[in-house]
Amino acid sequence: MTSDHLQAEVDAWLATHWQGLPAHHESFGRDPRSAWLAKVRDAGWAVPRWDAEWGGRNLSNERAKIVERAFAAVGAPGAGQDRSNLWANTALAHATDSFKRQIVPQLLAGEVGMCLLYSEPGAGSDLAAVRTRAEKVDGGWRINGQKVWTSGARVADYGMLIARTDWDVPKHRGISFFFLPMKQDGVEVRPLRQITDEAHFNEVFITDAFVPEENLLGPLNGGWGVLQTALAYERSVMGDAARGPRSGAGGPKGDHSLLGLAREAGRLDEAVVRQDVAQVIAWRVLNKLNTARAKAEMAQGTSSPIMSLGKLAMSRILHEEARVRTMLLGSESLLEGPEHPRAEDANFLAFNAYFTSIGGGTDQIQRNIIGERVLGLPKEPEVDRTIPFREVRAG
Amino acid sequence: MTDTLVRPETPVALDSVDRAALIDSVRRSLADRCTQADVRRIMDSETGHDPALWRALAEIGVTGLTAPESAGGAGLGAIELELIMEEAGAALLPAPLISTAIATVLLDGERLASIVDGSRIAAVAFAGTHDWTGRSDVRIAGDRLSGTARFVPDAAIADTILVATDDAVFAVDRGDVDVTPLPVFDRTRRMADVAFHGPATRIGDASRVAAARDIGIVALAGEQAGAARRMFELTVAYATERHQFGRAIGSFQAIKHMAADLLLESESATSAARDAARQVAEGSATKDAAVPLAAFACADAFVRVAKDGIQMHGGIAFTWDHPAHLYMRRARSGAQLFGDSSHWRERYIRALEAQA
Ligand SMILES: Cc1cc2nc3c(=O)[nH]c(=O)nc-3n(C[C@H](O)[C@H](O)[C@H](O)COP(=O)(O)OP(=O)(O)OC[C@H]3O[C@@H](n4cnc5c(N)ncnc54)[C@H](O)[C@@H]3O)c2cc1C
Repeated sequence: MTSDHLQAEVDAWLATHWQGLPAHHESFGRDPRSAWLAKVRDAGWAVPRWDAEWGGRNLSNERAKIVERAFAAVGAPGAGQDRSNLWANTALAHATDSFKRQIVPQLLAGEVGMCLLYSEPGAGSDLAAVRTRAEKVDGGWRINGQKVWTSGARVADYGMLIARTDWDVPKHRGISFFFLPMKQDGVEVRPLRQITDEAHFNEVFITDAFVPEENLLGPLNGGWGVLQTALAYERSVMGDAARGPRSGAGGPKGDHSLLGLAREAGRLDEAVVRQDVAQVIAWRVLNKLNTARAKAEMAQGTSSPIMSLGKLAMSRILHEEARVRTMLLGSESLLEGPEHPRAEDANFLAFNAYFTSIGGGTDQIQRNIIGERVLGLPKEPEVDRTIPFREVRAG
Repeated sequence: MTDTLVRPETPVALDSVDRAALIDSVRRSLADRCTQADVRRIMDSETGHDPALWRALAEIGVTGLTAPESAGGAGLGAIELELIMEEAGAALLPAPLISTAIATVLLDGERLASIVDGSRIAAVAFAGTHDWTGRSDVRIAGDRLSGTARFVPDAAIADTILVATDDAVFAVDRGDVDVTPLPVFDRTRRMADVAFHGPATRIGDASRVAAARDIGIVALAGEQAGAARRMFELTVAYATERHQFGRAIGSFQAIKHMAADLLLESESATSAARDAARQVAEGSATKDAAVPLAAFACADAFVRVAKDGIQMHGGIAFTWDHPAHLYMRRARSGAQLFGDSSHWRERYIRALEAQA
């Protein structure tokens, strides 16, 4: 099939099926767009690069982009998840065939809600220090422990869980990776009030919860490797998503681009303001250009280390944009509430910027990763890398 | 005499294989003839120019890279120019390449052919009132020029000085002007003041001046991106080899984290320079934003990489014999060549306003 044929096919398909969606999107939990996403999945557009066996069309990267561009041109979501869907990619790469057949189609259509059960009170940056335990029982695993900062846990059907399965080997080697069913008695979710005054993340208490055998991803005790794939996807998506401010929900909507805000504030003729606004916009553009270059250089299916620059860049953009928005608003930024959407945006952004600079691995950890994995600089000495986890100091 | 200002031929587009071969031939030539020892020799010479090196570059087609084939050039565009400049920047090539690229846009006919074959060198003074530097004071009366253009790159070795004013472009022979070489801080990029007091040949109106400046900025941005990357590579290599406290300094986070930030800077510079080149080559509608963006992003990135690179090297980089200061000098001179970064951020936001 030539590119023209492909283009014609996808255009025709969109012309028949695409009618637009209500503008609402939550990245965690069951996706309200799932009826549409299921159609995209069934047509094979969701993961065009994958094998037909897993719902794809076996297209080269170049040709898959034709599909993505056609969707983007009409504003339809759901195509090209083979580059962006963290859950589906992790499952495809590591799940057992039978579990894949069950879960992957559901993930592509957003029919199941997902969360990440990695962080614990004693294991944040140092994820290899998890103490949640998984013990072998008949037909599966019994889980006990506590997770924290778990975004979307309340609406999730499954959590991607890392838990310790061997305490007598060094910490990286005794971890396994599971899809934990969340809707069961042993899983208790308690919302945490966040600095943004929302409660998207939670504490999760796990007491004798059960994971069926087939929900183990990758080898037993080989969870660290699976986690690396999943983290790489998460980080690349975080650097790529042009996370803007929450658009003043309910309030009057102005032009909330930075340039527009400066104009509205009547300060677009101030030299310093112009310099700052230009710099933030430039960083955003540069980040997009970097991402485009990284993607062009990246073979399908593998994660590019250059992509991990994006998350670091995005942290800087978001924190600096919050500063500039606040400066533009002046004392208006002291206000909140629906009548002051511009202030809400700026204040929300000032806090929510940490979502990127702490969540998914802090900027400091990101710099370690770039230094070590991309630049090949020597690793930091880790005192607990070689001793059995049982003997590791915690706290 | 007024040369015609039509450029009928559109640039040839190379495929990726030919492009790689071109870059490779330039890289090999620079590895032979533009080692650090060569750079230092040329830098210490009176003119800061090595005619033999220039001839060699002319032979592999670098001097005529973007000139049309009818003038003996390779007929290539901004994309190839930018990539070649990345190589030149990495090697700190002291040669009038940027001036040549700009002159290629302004010239036609015989004058162009002699630039392309390397037999003559042109320098360019931007002397319009729209010029942002406020450095030049050149007046036109009929076809006579008076006044002084300041800080003109390569003027002391040029055979022809081109003057781009608000409404015309003039050519003046070297013998008809007074050239005063300046004692520059970056001796790999020589500049001179040029005083005019006589006849000049009007070679065209001002219609090509903006395009000439765009090409100059793309070339400079490429040079900065390539130089930043090389300085960065030197720094990472050093951080891997140098040991203190019983471990490589690159294993210390203070160093590792600076390196990660510098990688972001140098990759962003490369992205910006290549995007500007592509937009100029395609005549894209948003090139008036892409060119200023490259101008300040590449200048700032190179200065930061050069500066922090010295810090990360420690005392060794503070010596004359270490190449770090050569990169720092280049970074600082390039950051002023077409106006500073604040100027270009201002032009960038103006372009964004115009698009909005
Ligand atoms: C909004 C938000 C949402 C989140 N969502 C989830 C989620 O859904 N699921 C989940 O599992 N987790 C989630 N997290 C948790 C997040 O991944 C962790 O907070 C993060 O990895 C840092 O761990 P920590 O909070 O324990 O901080 P710590 O690891 O205690 O770090 C504290 C400070 O020390 C620094 N530090 C630690 N180790 C090093 C080192 N080796 N080198 C240099 N500096 C170091 C850190 O950079 C930081 O500045 C979320 C966090 C946030 C803020």
